[in-house]
Amino acid sequence: MNMADERIELPQGTLDLLILKTIALGPQHGWAISERVQQMSSDALQVKQGSLYPALHRLERHGWIKARWSVTENNRKAKYYELTGSGRKQLENQTDSWRRLTAAVGRILDTA
Amino acid sequence: MISDLLFRLRAIFRRHSVEEELDNELRFHLNHEIEKLMRSGLSREEASRRARLALGGLDQVKEECRDARGVSILETAMQDIRHGMRGLWRNPGLAILATLTLSLGMAASTVVFSIFQATLLRPMPFRDADRLVEIWETRLDRGIDQASFTEANFWDLRAQNHSFEEVAAIHSFEANMTGAGPAEKVSGSAVTAGFFRTLGVSPILGRDFLYEEDRGGMDNRVVILGARFWRNKFNGNPEIIGKTLRLNDQVYTVVGVAPAGEPWLNEQMFMLFGYRPDADRGSWEFGVIGRLATGVSDDTARADLQQVAGAISQSFPNEAKGLGFRMGSSSQWGASNDTRRALWVLLGAVTFLLLIGCMNVANLLLARGTARQREIAVRSVLGASRARLARFVMMEALLLSGFGVALGLALAYGALRVMQSLEISGIPRLADASLNLWVLGFAAGTAALTGLLSGLAPALQGWGSGVAAALRESDRQKGSRGQGRLRAAMVTGEVALSFLLLVGAGLLIRSFGQLMKVNHGFQTENRLVFSVNMPEAYWKDGVGKQFMDRFFERLSAVPGVIAVGAVGNRPVEGGNPGMGIDSNSQTADRQSPWAGWRVVTPGYFRAVGLPVLRGRVFDENDKPVWAEQGQPAPARRVMISDRLAKRIFPNEDPVGKHVNLWKRQGDWDAEVIGVVGDSRERGLTSDPTLTVYLPYGRNALATEFVAHTSGNVHDLAPVVRSIVADLDPNLPVTDIRSFQEVVTRSVAPQRFNAILLGVFSGLAPLLATTGIYGVLSYSMSRRTSEIGLRMAVPIEYSIQPGRGGN
Repeated sequence: MNMADERIELPQGTLDLLILKTIALGPQHGWAISERVQQMSSDALQVKQGSLYPALHRLERHGWIKARWSVTENNRKAKYYELTGSGRKQLENQTDSWRRLTAAVGRILDTA
Repeated sequence: MISDLLFRLRAIFRRHSVEEELDNELRFHLNHEIEKLMRSGLSREEASRRARLALGGLDQVKEECRDARGVSILETAMQDIRHGMRGLWRNPGLAILATLTLSLGMAASTVVFSIFQATLLRPMPFRDADRLVEIWETRLDRGIDQASFTEANFWDLRAQNHSFEEVAAIHSFEANMTGAGPAEKVSGSAVTAGFFRTLGVSPILGRDFLYEEDRGGMDNRVVILGARFWRNKFNGNPEIIGKTLRLNDQVYTVVGVAPAGEPWLNEQMFMLFGYRPDADRGSWEFGVIGRLATGVSDDTARADLQQVAGAISQSFPNEAKGLGFRMGSSSQWGASNDTRRALWVLLGAVTFLLLIGCMNVANLLLARGTARQREIAVRSVLGASRARLARFVMMEALLLSGFGVALGLALAYGALRVMQSLEISGIPRLADASLNLWVLGFAAGTAALTGLLSGLAPALQGWGSGVAAALRESDRQKGSRGQGRLRAAMVTGEVALSFLLLVGAGLLIRSFGQLMKVNHGFQTENRLVFSVNMPEAYWKDGVGKQFMDRFFERLSAVPGVIAVGAVGNRPVEGGNPGMGIDSNSQTADRQSPWAGWRVVTPGYFRAVGLPVLRGRVFDENDKPVWAEQGQPAPARRVMISDRLAKRIFPNEDPVGKHVNLWKRQGDWDAEVIGVVGDSRERGLTSDPTLTVYLPYGRNALATEFVAHTSGNVHDLAPVVRSIVADLDPNLPVTDIRSFQEVVTRSVAPQRFNAILLGVFSGLAPLLATTGIYGVLSYSMSRRTSEIGLRMAVPIEYSIQPGRGGN
């Protein structure tokens, strides 16, 4: 619990972006995605595991990612998610607008 | 879009595999998490516990995943229905009670709406009905703002107008049809050649009347049969075209079959009425309809009509003095304003009834919902969202209203059948009312609305109340004060609505009762009325009069018969021919009264029980006011009704005075020989009429007979038939009814309204009581432990002042 308190909760809507970014590197299953997000953010971000799966299903419904069952390196069946064409475009758009947002917010904070 | 749809479809149809995949996916996740935690040195149990904790409630995650997949609406709806059914099943008493109260309201509203729809909403079966109009004559200088057309004025209007694509005149006729089985009376419309073209309909078989046939009055003996008559009488045989019928001893050729349809078209047959140059301009007999030409506005048409009227009255300053035309929209054809108003009132009443039903269901669900608060709280702790719980309660309400509407439709179907079999007159197109798609749609809409309305409050209850509070094991759970107030308000509303209905129905029933008590003028007890339809030959050479006199003689001799008479137009039900009439000493240009005229036999007054107030009754020496062919005009004598006497001869004794009959049309001089009591000739809802009575004779027959008997009127009917058949087997006796029945039928619409509203208002308190029962039984069940406590604790300690001291 202590550990968790120091982590930053994800702002609304950024989870989708992180998922898209994570699987842009290659197909991943759910657990790996949550692990990867935490590793890449050096454990600074806390992805609630409970909210990861609904997000994955939502993205799948939008057609940005697609899922298929495959076998892991340990020979276990897992559901792998990968980016679709429109997902890639979505990732670019969202990354772009995220950058602009943080830049703008940053400028304001710096000048104030 | 498409992929989204496919995704959803897959989710629906392959629900099991989707669910399975979700299970597998989450299990895979948990396993990985557990392994990771175990690698950091935790025991399996601890690792498993932490992994689950990290994921959150498994069911909740699944639920959210389902939501995210977007299939949940349909899927959870199915689930809700299953749950709802189970919930209702647990408490069948409540479910049945609620369903019953709703179904009563539903049945009532469906019946009323189906009549409403058939009468007011269903389009008429005519092409571009909005361009159809009805036209009347007016004589505004004499205060007549709506009268039938005279024949000549119609021909002139047809020739001179510039606004109508087509106009047509209609006149009713009755004829004896012979040669096809026993003599039969048929009725129909005599119409001008453009009649069907005006309405924009074509014969379903054969041809329309031709413009080439349009001459010679009734001499062109061609008929078009009505669809129903054709089916019933001729079994829908298409060979009928070109065949001949014998009507009033004349041979008519069938040229076509008209489509069925209300109004105008549901006649037995249509005769051609052709143009003739020597048409009569004095007698107002024809109904006229017209079809506006394309692009002609109502105002243009009215101006055109006025111009034509002006031209006619200039050419015929006597007969057409003050002539004007009035045009009315065809939208009135479906139902009179009275019927419209009555239907709206009934629709309002059933809305109240439905509202009461809604509040009932809401109340019952509310009460139960409060009792189930613990269950709901447990469910919400287990991960059900508030919205889901609200949906759950809503689903119960919707299910109830679904059952309600199903049962209600069955009831409505039966009720409609009963009403149609009773053939309540005065409700136009009642026979057409059915549970068609419109009505079913209405019922479905009402059911949905009812479900939503009645589910709203119960679904929202518990929204604000704390879970923890509800979970606390306690019989003294309060519900919330707000809910109590809501329920009280609803019960109050129910009672108020049902009282509103009761009072409304009470008023209506009372005014109906007064209508029935109103002084008719004539007596209806022990009177039999019947029509003897005499053919054209009877009007020549005194054949008809001879028949009538012999018939009277035979019938009067029957034991029990007190008086017999006949009149040209049956009271209450029959037509109302009229004339302008005034004292002949009246030279000033005052407004002469308009009075109905009736040809009567001397015995008529005694037969219907009209008192002779002054003077005497006609006798054998009084001849018809019309001169027989080749004879000089007779000395005309008439009797008048009391009101008419007071109008033309105020403060004078009218007996012996002279009047002008057909004022400004014929101005025939006649002597008043008697004054008769007033009667409500035009029905109970109308004022007593101004009436002139004219004597019958060789060329003035009266076809509506009245017999007063001391015995049972219906025993007299076969006697009448056999006497008529004995005198002339080709004469049909029709429309045999007791006079009482005639009057009763004439107020059928009022009776119908009073009965329906009475039934509805009777249901209302029943429903309201059910609602009150629901609330009381709930609050009692809540206080069971309190009451138990009071019973257990000695009475001295209970907080009942006044009792404790004893």
